[in-house]
Amino acid sequence: MSRVLASLFLRAAVVLAGTALATFALLWHAPGDPALAIALARYDAVISSEVVDQIRAEAGFDAGFWPAFRAWILPLLLGDFGQSSVTGRDVWPELVTAISYTVPLALAGLLIGLLLSVPLALVATRRPGGWLDRCAVALASIGASIPAYWLGLLLILLFAVQLGWLPAMGARTPAHAVLPALTLGLGVAASLTRILRSGILEARGQPFLPAFRRRGVARRDIERDHVALHAAVPVVTVFGLELAFLLEGAVMVEVIFARPGLGSFLVNAIEARDFPKVQAVVVLAAVLFVTVNLIIDLIYRTLDPRIGDRDA
Amino acid sequence: MRSVAVLVTFFVLLALIGPVLAPYDPAQIDIPNRLSSPGAGWWLGTDALGRDILSRLLHGARWSLGLAFLISVVGLCLGAVAGLVAALGGRRADWVVMRTTDTFLAFPDLVAAVVIAGVLGAGTGSLIFALTVTGWMRYARVARGIGLSLQNRGYVVQARLAGLSPLAIARWHYLPSLLPSLTVVWTGMFARAILGISALGFLGFGVQPPIPEWGTMLLDARIHMRSTPLQMIWPGLAVVICVLAINLTGDALRDALAEQESRA
Amino acid sequence: MLRVDQVSVRRGKELTLQDVSLSLAPRRTLAVVGESGAGKSTLIGAILGFLPCATGQVSWDGAPVRRCRPALVMQEPRSAFNPRLSLHHSVMEPVVARRVRADPDRLDKLCRGLEIPPDLLERRPGEVSIGQAQRIGILRALLAAPPLVLFDEPLSALDAVTQKHTARLIADLQRAEGFAALIVTHDLGYAAAFADDIAVLRAGRIEELTASPAFVEAPQSEYGRILRDAAFALGALERVA
Repeated sequence: MSRVLASLFLRAAVVLAGTALATFALLWHAPGDPALAIALARYDAVISSEVVDQIRAEAGFDAGFWPAFRAWILPLLLGDFGQSSVTGRDVWPELVTAISYTVPLALAGLLIGLLLSVPLALVATRRPGGWLDRCAVALASIGASIPAYWLGLLLILLFAVQLGWLPAMGARTPAHAVLPALTLGLGVAASLTRILRSGILEARGQPFLPAFRRRGVARRDIERDHVALHAAVPVVTVFGLELAFLLEGAVMVEVIFARPGLGSFLVNAIEARDFPKVQAVVVLAAVLFVTVNLIIDLIYRTLDPRIGDRDA
Repeated sequence: MRSVAVLVTFFVLLALIGPVLAPYDPAQIDIPNRLSSPGAGWWLGTDALGRDILSRLLHGARWSLGLAFLISVVGLCLGAVAGLVAALGGRRADWVVMRTTDTFLAFPDLVAAVVIAGVLGAGTGSLIFALTVTGWMRYARVARGIGLSLQNRGYVVQARLAGLSPLAIARWHYLPSLLPSLTVVWTGMFARAILGISALGFLGFGVQPPIPEWGTMLLDARIHMRSTPLQMIWPGLAVVICVLAINLTGDALRDALAEQESRA
Repeated sequence: MLRVDQVSVRRGKELTLQDVSLSLAPRRTLAVVGESGAGKSTLIGAILGFLPCATGQVSWDGAPVRRCRPALVMQEPRSAFNPRLSLHHSVMEPVVARRVRADPDRLDKLCRGLEIPPDLLERRPGEVSIGQAQRIGILRALLAAPPLVLFDEPLSALDAVTQKHTARLIADLQRAEGFAALIVTHDLGYAAAFADDIAVLRAGRIEELTASPAFVEAPQSEYGRILRDAAFALGALERVA
C-alpha cells in the first residue's frame, strides 16, 4: 500500500510540475513584449526604452526561459504568488478575495444540484423505463446540452428583466447570488441525475442481490447496505468531474452576472495581460484539482477493494 | 454507426448549404430596420446593425459547426496516436504519454482553453489551437486502454511474430477495433467543441466580429436584452439543438456498442 | 539449431521458469509436457522473445530467435485470426511482412496437404470450424517456410477424431519441410507418438529430458514416472507401447 501511495503522490507532483511548466511556457511565448506591456500599464504615458529595459531586468525576462522560470517558481513554492504586473500590488490578497466570492457560489450550486438530482434519480429508478424515468432522462439530456452562459442569460431575462423579482448584476446582497447559483445548480443537476441514475441501475443489477432477497433480507436493508455502496463508487468519481464543471461554470456565470470571483479575476487578468495573476489562478486551480483527484483515488480504493495498483 | 452518418451528413449539409439558403447577405447593414421584430421581411428579426439574424445564423453554422468538426477530428487523430504510442511503445513511452495526459486533464478544459486563447490573442487561429490542445486526452485514454487489451490477442501476437511493421499492425489490427469507441468519444468531443467555440466567442476570445459565429452573436445580442429579448434566444437555441442532437446520437451509439459487445 | 541456455523468467517476485536448458535441431521434434501452470506458455514466450529472460539466453544458430522468423501455432485457433479480416489476409501476413512475392504454387501445395479447400480462405474466422481454423493456422505458420515452428497445445481445442488427423498432418508436413518443431502439450500420448524427445516441465524446472521410446519404457524422474503411469491408466499410451 505504501508503494501505491508513493506512486500516487509522485504522479501528482509530476502533473503539478507539468502544469506549471506548460503555463509558464505559454505565457513566455505569448505575442508581444511583456516588459513593454507592464510599462504601458504602469505609466500609460510616453515611455523611454530605459524604463522598459529596467522592468525587463527586474522581472528576469532578459535572462532567458529557464532563469525566468526559476525566478517565478522558487518563490511560488514558498507561497509567494508575486505582484500584479499592472498595479504592482501583491496577487495573493486579491486572489483570496476572489476565492471568497467563488467558493460560496460553487457550494450553493452543488447544493442545488444535489437537492434536484438525488430525488429525481431515486424517483426515476423506481420504475426504469417508466414515464417518470423517461422524463428525467429527457430533462437531464436537455440540461446537459444547454451552455451555462445561455441559461444564465435566460434566467436574467425571465426573473430580472420580465418579472423583476431578482437582481441580476453584481454581488451586493444575498439575493444577488440566487440567479448565479441557480444557473450553476441546474447544470450540476443535469449531469448528476444521469450519473446517479445509471449508478443506481447498475448497482441493482449486481448478480448477488437476488440471493439476498431469497435469503429473506428486507428490500430496504439491501438498498441501504449494498445498492447505496455500489452507487457511491461512481458518484465519488463524478465529484471530481463536477468540480471541473463548477469552476468552468463559475468563469462563465461570474462574467454574465458581473460578479467578482475567480472567473472574473481570470478573465480580467487575461484581458489586462496581467500574467502573474493568470499564473496564480492556473496554479491554484491545478493544485486544487490534483489534490481532489488524489483524495478521490484514495476513497475509490477504500470503497472498492478490487481496484488494486493495476494502474499505479 | 448509421445514426452518426445521418447526423454528420446533416451538419455538413447545413454548413455547406446554409449560406446558400440565407435570404440576405449576413454582413449587409440596414440601420433604418435595426432591431426589428420577427416578421415577413426578417423571419427572425434583425440585429443592432439591421443585419438579418436568420442569414447570420445560417452563415454562422459554417463557423460554429465546421470549426467544431475540424477541432474534434484533429483531436481524435492526436489522441489516437498518443494512446497507441502509450500502449505499444513500452513502459517509458507509456509513462511519459500518460503523465502528459494527466497534466492536461488536471484542469477543466474550457478554462484552459480560455487561458490559452486569451493569452495568445483573440482570433480564429488561437481558438482552434486552444480547443485542440485541450481536447485530445479522452481519445488518448480510450485508445490506450483498447490498445493494451489488444496487445495479447492471438492475432496481434501472430502479426508481431510475422514481422509486420508497427504501422501495419496499427492499421490492420488496432484501428478497426478502436474506431467504434473513438466515434463515441468523438460525438462527446464534437459537442464540447461547439460549446467551447460559442463560449469563447461569448467571452470575446474566439472568432472575431463581423464573422457571424453563434457565441459572438450572443455577445452582441446581450446588450439589447431589454428591447429585443428574442434576438438573444436564437443563437443559443441553435447551439442547444445541435449539441442535443449530437449527445443523443452519442448515447444511442454507445448503447448499440454495449449491446454488440455483450452479444459477442 | 535452437539453444535454450539456463533460462530463468521472472514474473513479479516469482520465477516462472528456472534454469531451463534444451536444444533442438532441424527435422527434430521436441515435446514439452507438464501440467497447467508448469511454465509451458512462459517457455514459448521466452523463446519467441516476448518475455525477457532474467538470466540465460535463447538463440537460433547463434543469433536471436526472432531473426529466423519462427512461427507459432496457437491453442485457440479462432482467436489467432483477426475476426474482421479474411483468413486469406491473415495467412499472407508472414509473406507480406518479408516483402517477398507470394508463391501461389506453394500456397496450393500446402492447402492440398492440409486438406483446405481454396475457397475456405475467403471466409472470416467465425465462418469456419475450429478444426479448419487450426489447419489454416498451420498453413499460415508454414507458408513462409520457417526453420522453427512452435506448437502451443495445437490439438487441445479439437475433438478426438480431428486431433488424430491433425497430428498426422503435422508429422507429414514436417517430414516434407524439414523444420524443427517444438510442441508444448499436456497430452503425453501425443508427445510419445510423434516427438523424438520428451522434456518434462514441472514448476518452472525441467525434471528430465529423454528420448521418447526410452521415456515410455522407463522415465528417469519420479515425476516423469507418475505422469507416464497416469497416461497408461487412461489408455493414452497403449498405441505407442
